[in-house]
Amino acid sequence: MSWFSRLRNQFRENAVSKEISKEMQFHLSEKVDDLIGAGMPPAAARREARRRFGSLAYQTERTRERDLIGWFDTATADIRYALRSLRSAPAFAAVAILSLGLGIGANTAIFSLINAVMLKSLPVSHPEELVAIHRGEGSVLTNPLWEAIRDRQDTFSGVLAFGSTDFNLTAGGEARRIDANWVSGDYFATLGVRPIAGRLIAKADDYRGCPGTVVLSDAFWQSRYSGDPAVVGKSIALDGHAFEIIGVADPRFFGVSVGEHPQAFVPICSEAIIRGTNSQLDHRSSWYLQLIGRPKPGLTREQINARFATIAPGILEATIPSNWPADALKEYRRMVFSVLPAATGFSDVRVAYGKALYVLMAIVGVVLLIACANVANLLLARAAARQREMAVRLALGAGRGRLARQLITESLLLAALGAALGLIFAWWGSHVLVRLLSRSDRVLSLDLGIDERVLLFTIGVTTVTGLLFGLVPAWRAGRVDPQAAMKAQGRGVAEGHRRFSMGKALVVAQVALSLVLIVGAGLLLGSWRKLATLDPGFRRDQILLIDADIRGAATPPELRLALHEQMLTALRALPGVRSASASQITPIATSTWNDLIRTDGFTPKSDEDAVVWANAVSDRYFATMGIPMLGGRDFDNRDTQTSAHVAIVNEAMAKKFFSTPAAVGRRFQKEVGGNWTAPIEVVGVVGTTKYQSLRDSAQPIMYFPRAQESAVAQYVSFELRTSGLPIGIVPNATKAIAALSPRITLDFTTLDRRMAESLTLMRTIATLSGFFGALAVLLATIGLYGIMTYNVARRRNEIGVRIALGAERGRVVRMVLGEVSRVVIAGTLIGVGLSLGVTRLVASFLYGVTPTDFVTLGASVALLAAVGVAAAALPAWRASRLDPVAALREE
Amino acid sequence: MSRHKNDILQGTLVLLVLKTLDAQGRMHGYAITSHIQRVSADLLRVEEGSLYPALHRMSQEGWLRAEWGTTEKNREAKFYTITAVGRKQLETEEASWTRLRLGVTRVLRYA
Repeated sequence: MSWFSRLRNQFRENAVSKEISKEMQFHLSEKVDDLIGAGMPPAAARREARRRFGSLAYQTERTRERDLIGWFDTATADIRYALRSLRSAPAFAAVAILSLGLGIGANTAIFSLINAVMLKSLPVSHPEELVAIHRGEGSVLTNPLWEAIRDRQDTFSGVLAFGSTDFNLTAGGEARRIDANWVSGDYFATLGVRPIAGRLIAKADDYRGCPGTVVLSDAFWQSRYSGDPAVVGKSIALDGHAFEIIGVADPRFFGVSVGEHPQAFVPICSEAIIRGTNSQLDHRSSWYLQLIGRPKPGLTREQINARFATIAPGILEATIPSNWPADALKEYRRMVFSVLPAATGFSDVRVAYGKALYVLMAIVGVVLLIACANVANLLLARAAARQREMAVRLALGAGRGRLARQLITESLLLAALGAALGLIFAWWGSHVLVRLLSRSDRVLSLDLGIDERVLLFTIGVTTVTGLLFGLVPAWRAGRVDPQAAMKAQGRGVAEGHRRFSMGKALVVAQVALSLVLIVGAGLLLGSWRKLATLDPGFRRDQILLIDADIRGAATPPELRLALHEQMLTALRALPGVRSASASQITPIATSTWNDLIRTDGFTPKSDEDAVVWANAVSDRYFATMGIPMLGGRDFDNRDTQTSAHVAIVNEAMAKKFFSTPAAVGRRFQKEVGGNWTAPIEVVGVVGTTKYQSLRDSAQPIMYFPRAQESAVAQYVSFELRTSGLPIGIVPNATKAIAALSPRITLDFTTLDRRMAESLTLMRTIATLSGFFGALAVLLATIGLYGIMTYNVARRRNEIGVRIALGAERGRVVRMVLGEVSRVVIAGTLIGVGLSLGVTRLVASFLYGVTPTDFVTLGASVALLAAVGVAAAALPAWRASRLDPVAALREE
Repeated sequence: MSRHKNDILQGTLVLLVLKTLDAQGRMHGYAITSHIQRVSADLLRVEEGSLYPALHRMSQEGWLRAEWGTTEKNREAKFYTITAVGRKQLETEEASWTRLRLGVTRVLRYA
């Protein structure tokens, strides 16, 4: 019955019931007439007729069973039957549900991450209205630009600016940092966020010369103040400056940058309090603010862009940077503002992890396909065993459609049970994943709550999965010929077997897909291993890195270098420190420094080509870091502010710019503020090291003596080579620095850890792809083992006859292994083709291997072949041990 | 509800109704019951309770056409006729019944 007529019956319910009772009324009258005709008194006849008929109302109900309610009733009956049949085959059910649970769970876990990072709207009021203001390619603006836009725009009912920063909570000693946001006065009002204690920052809090006010996140308020409302009005020290806590934001609000979780929000104007004379509020080339606006009702993005085009010249003219070269200014004046939808906010995480998440999604998708193939195979084997059951039901009048529906119900039920298990895996897995992706200096914070999108995804995946593995057995069941099936008593001597049954095709697909996954995993794991064990050019072990911030000590610029020297001397004197040095930049860090250089005999292909990474270091830096000195000398006390400027270059730079590793005595110039410096003499050449990333190729680096730097920064780093565990030095180092000034703050890490953490994303993708690759192989092995066991069982009689007729056991084993190898070889061939096609999708993650690396491919094929043989060994051995007499006698 | 021993085997009611209508032409429900009972020499008795639901379903499937009319006693009754689809269904049902009967007979004889 079609859905339509079923539905129509619901609407016609009254008409139908009326018609049926009328019809039954007629039946009753006819019966009564007949009974009277047979001699029964009328009253007794009426009673008898009614008794035979049962209650009229009941009959009407029965008739309506054919309608919608009836459909649900049969569906529940189907489900109950399906449950019973699953219970009667617990091993089958467990394997099926477990593999589906793993497959669906992995998909849901990755999807909920993608959802949290890419798709979820910000937890603010009407996020769909929000737009982000971009300039050309980027979205980061200066404070003067923000103020000009804020004051001149007339298309937004509210517009806000924010920038990420962090604050140190301690006044000195080891730093305790929290993530924070600079926010404009209308930040909270524009987003429509409410406070849960106190009040939020308002327009009136954001003006030049404002006092320090701060709004805390709920998480920070809970962890530091146990949610005490009395904290409002109290003061908190941020980077050593007192800020008044004015309120706490809504618990669901995490800012507008997905993946980050600022613990404090301070007005942009308070930047002047933190940075003092270094304040960048009026800097026209300090880019650190991002803008979001809520357009006035009815305005389209095109209209806003058009309006921006008219006001842009005024905005740009008012904010023109003063010291830029002419061509850069021309570029500045050409800046175009445009708005883009911002319902999902901004996210660095999206840029950093987006591709990785899609790769993982593809991987788990393939795992699910393999799991589906496995379950389909199990169902096919089961369907064969249930052929007689189906035949009997067909013979007793069950419709073929009805049987198929029963089987589909069973499949969907399996999928649903798998999904329920999968949701548990997913909840656990997505949290583990976020932990895996987090680093000690960058904790990933995501809202992983399961929303309707994730649920819809899971339901969709489950249904598709259920149909995918359920349709084939269902279709086949409908084609059973009851007579043939009932006749076949399982006694045929040589079971006719097709060379390529459906079950084998599924296993071939499994082998092919799992080969793709292990090739991918092999490439990623290989790249990770290479990155993790490569020689960076320095010694990574037993180095403690200290980032010091001396702003709190309020040292005048001319005394800063002396303070740095004192700190270095104090650190060198610590027990357990074998060697120590100071530097501006530490390796594999986020902060970098580069300059344009020129030298005779080198013509750059472009400006880019003449850019060299730079660092300013103390004496013994190279010795401490274990960087070999290839020629010349280290910096020492000859290199002062007044002596001739010198540099040490690495081998890559010497070769590139001086065409010889022996560059000592050569000279080059560097560009400072648009002018070229006096010639700088190369006094030493050192080994080439990684600068910013372990993926760096051999990059040119130049080192300058710290004593010759024109301006000494407030930040300096120290490298300590220790004799014991580097972390063991931390308490003494803290004490030693505090003795010089208790207001200096310090961040500690080890070089080893920093290098490991720079590979966090790579490690996560590689280990997960390895894990899923192993899972895929395991599933394929189960598939292979299952189909071989089944085939051997089916061919028991035949094998028995062969053995009875004198076939050697070795031949039987060869026969079974031959069958497996055909499947494995077919799958491998397809898999190799697929791998060559798809592995370039992960090319950007690879290091030191090409996507078509033949060693990886060969190893993967060998692994699969070995697994294939292992899967077939037991069934083959069993076949060869078959007792022909027992096999043939057995019914 | 207590069951008569000679109640019609589940699944065969459709066959009997289709066959009756195919042979007799236009009939109302009561006539169908009486016909089956008479022709089977009282061996088969149609349970009235299942007849009307079955008739309703068979009309929905398009095997029967139903229309209201009046009997010779001038009572209003619903009359059924078999459709072309119904005849095809009848063939299928007859074939499957034959198979079932053969099967059951063989089991009874040889099992």
